Amino acid sequence: MSNILHFSEHTLQEIALVFMATVYFLRIKWFLKWTLGKERQPATGMGDTNPKKGARYSLGMIIKPWTMESTRTKPFMYAQFVLFHLGVVAAIALSFIIPYGPGLLKSAALVSAIQFMTGAAFIVGIMRIIRRISNPYMRAISSPDDHFSLILLTSWFAFASMAASNDISGGEGIMQTFFLLTAFFLMYVPFSKISHYLYYPFTRTYMGRSFGRRGVFPLRKKPAYDTV
Amino acid sequence: MNNGKDVRSYKAQKVIDRMGQKLSRQIVGSLTACVHCGMCTDSCHYVLANPGDPTYAPAYKADLIRKLFKHHYDWTGKVFPKWVKAGSVYTDQELEELKDTVFGKCTNCRRCTINCPMGVDLATFNRMARGLLCHVGIMPEGVEYVAKEQWEIGNQMGVLKEDFIGTIEWQEEELQEEMQDPTAKIPIDKMNADIVYTVNPREVKHDPRSILDAAKIFYMAGENYTMPSEGWDMTNFGLFNGDDDLGGAVAARVYDNVRELKGKKLVMSECGHGYRSTRCEGPNWAKQDIEFEAESSVITMLRYIKEGKIKVDKTKNPGSYTFHDSCNNARSCGLTEEPRELLSLVVEDFREMYPNRAENYCCTGGGGAMSMSEYKSRRLKSGKVKAEQLSATGAKVVVTSCHNCVDGLTDIIGHYNVGMGVTQLVNLVANALVVDDRISENAMKYAGEEAVTA
Ligand code: SF4
Ligand code: SF4
Repeated sequence: MSNILHFSEHTLQEIALVFMATVYFLRIKWFLKWTLGKERQPATGMGDTNPKKGARYSLGMIIKPWTMESTRTKPFMYAQFVLFHLGVVAAIALSFIIPYGPGLLKSAALVSAIQFMTGAAFIVGIMRIIRRISNPYMRAISSPDDHFSLILLTSWFAFASMAASNDISGGEGIMQTFFLLTAFFLMYVPFSKISHYLYYPFTRTYMGRSFGRRGVFPLRKKPAYDTV
Repeated sequence: MNNGKDVRSYKAQKVIDRMGQKLSRQIVGSLTACVHCGMCTDSCHYVLANPGDPTYAPAYKADLIRKLFKHHYDWTGKVFPKWVKAGSVYTDQELEELKDTVFGKCTNCRRCTINCPMGVDLATFNRMARGLLCHVGIMPEGVEYVAKEQWEIGNQMGVLKEDFIGTIEWQEEELQEEMQDPTAKIPIDKMNADIVYTVNPREVKHDPRSILDAAKIFYMAGENYTMPSEGWDMTNFGLFNGDDDLGGAVAARVYDNVRELKGKKLVMSECGHGYRSTRCEGPNWAKQDIEFEAESSVITMLRYIKEGKIKVDKTKNPGSYTFHDSCNNARSCGLTEEPRELLSLVVEDFREMYPNRAENYCCTGGGGAMSMSEYKSRRLKSGKVKAEQLSATGAKVVVTSCHNCVDGLTDIIGHYNVGMGVTQLVNLVANALVVDDRISENAMKYAGEEAVTA
């Protein structure tokens, strides 16, 4: 392994991680400085739920696609969402496994799993790029950051898939690109929409608490009464 | 002004400054968390009625507000404004354009809210944006007019106290006639009543029959209730124009009158936004906790039947009925099961509308849209999905627990020739009342009194 690849796999990643953590910390601090609106309203609704129950339901809706019409009626979009995010998990894991636990990649099953997940995420990324460009609604709501983040992640998946075997016998180009992209990704994320997962627990909890207090969450599908 | 971009108009600056005062963490979360995934797009009735026009997409509309937040209050927007679509407003014309969207292209129905995987509540910050514009006097004429009536006269329709009392007395006479009981009363300002009953001014001005029907139900239940001569309007235009001060003042007026009359419970007639404003948001706007119970008349009526205080006969309401959930009742207050239970008790043929409950579509009259005549054609067009929902039920009558929805649905039914009637639960419950025993008892008494007088 060349010095430059070693630098990219270790020092550069560590610098990028520290940078990302610092900006995230500042971002959360900034977010928490806003005053939390006080809810004084007495509970409404059928009374068999409460803010805590509502918050739990709200946080879990993303893994229960049947709870939202938007995910229930678009199973293909939901499947894309799952594959895309599994790809993120796999690529992040790979960026740690290669420098700190390369022995794990002796397992052909693990390599295949990572290749499958990042490969599938790459295909979904391409589909999402096409959708973002060709769908007039998506075009109208997209910012340069949306386009760039999607292209960045899609390219990253492609290189992650190729780098999963951790084989540099044919040259270091793929590995080098994967780690450079990873470092750039880590430093870019806090400034981009990719950091949405930082807000997810907050927004869903606030929404769930309010809707729980009002008996809206968990959503009702069947009569909760037995009079008739 | 240089190209209108270097110098900001007085109003534009005020809007930006006030935004800083109105941002809560919940709103900031919603303004920050959108990933532009587009999953909310076709949850909006405006989008469904205007295919191919992205300016109706919830995320597009949200971005018109979000760009101000990003530019002025979020440092990512300050560092890379174009990259994240941050931007400011400089001219009054730009504020007018924003008005067209926040008032004219969204009914704050929250359907996109419950369909957003990220938990972005556009309706809440759209309301905030309305409030910012109203603060500088930029709003539809009808909104300004109604808000002024509620500030100055104390109710949305400018009903004077003597007219209110006159209407109640008139309905009291009707009650005596229908119940054949000259002692039947609609009490006004009675102290220590178990229920203080508040209504929508539309009932006083255009639909006094609803007051009479409620009075019949209270009469049959033997309820110790009263209507207040002040603070009887439980509707609240503050919900629609985004003015928390108006919202707080109106809600406080209702609460204060319940306290003054030493009422035990506040009951609100069927009105979605009134219920949400008075029951849910009012305490927040008025910054006070309410110590007495408050409930929708739907729950009161249901309880009377369950407790045997009134008897109903569903054969008195023949025909087929469906139920339209008011957005404010269902999606913002969880009032979905009680109206269905009640309806099933008073009609023979109840058919669900799909989608329903918290997923129901807006009647198009939400968010104060009925008062914005300049957007009427847009509103009616957006009602296409509602008209299809109604038609698919095959029912002859649509029932709703909201006066706004009655008007919104009536417009849609007329515009799309759906051929359906619109009514409320109070009318059906009153019609289904089994009153024969009470009437014959009173009639004998009445006849006896008349004989003595003669
Ligand atoms: S509001 Fe929610 S559903 Fe709509 S585009 Fe933004 S994140 Fe997606
Ligand atoms: S709140 Fe309702 S009307 Fe407004 S954008 Fe969302 S779905 Fe459309």
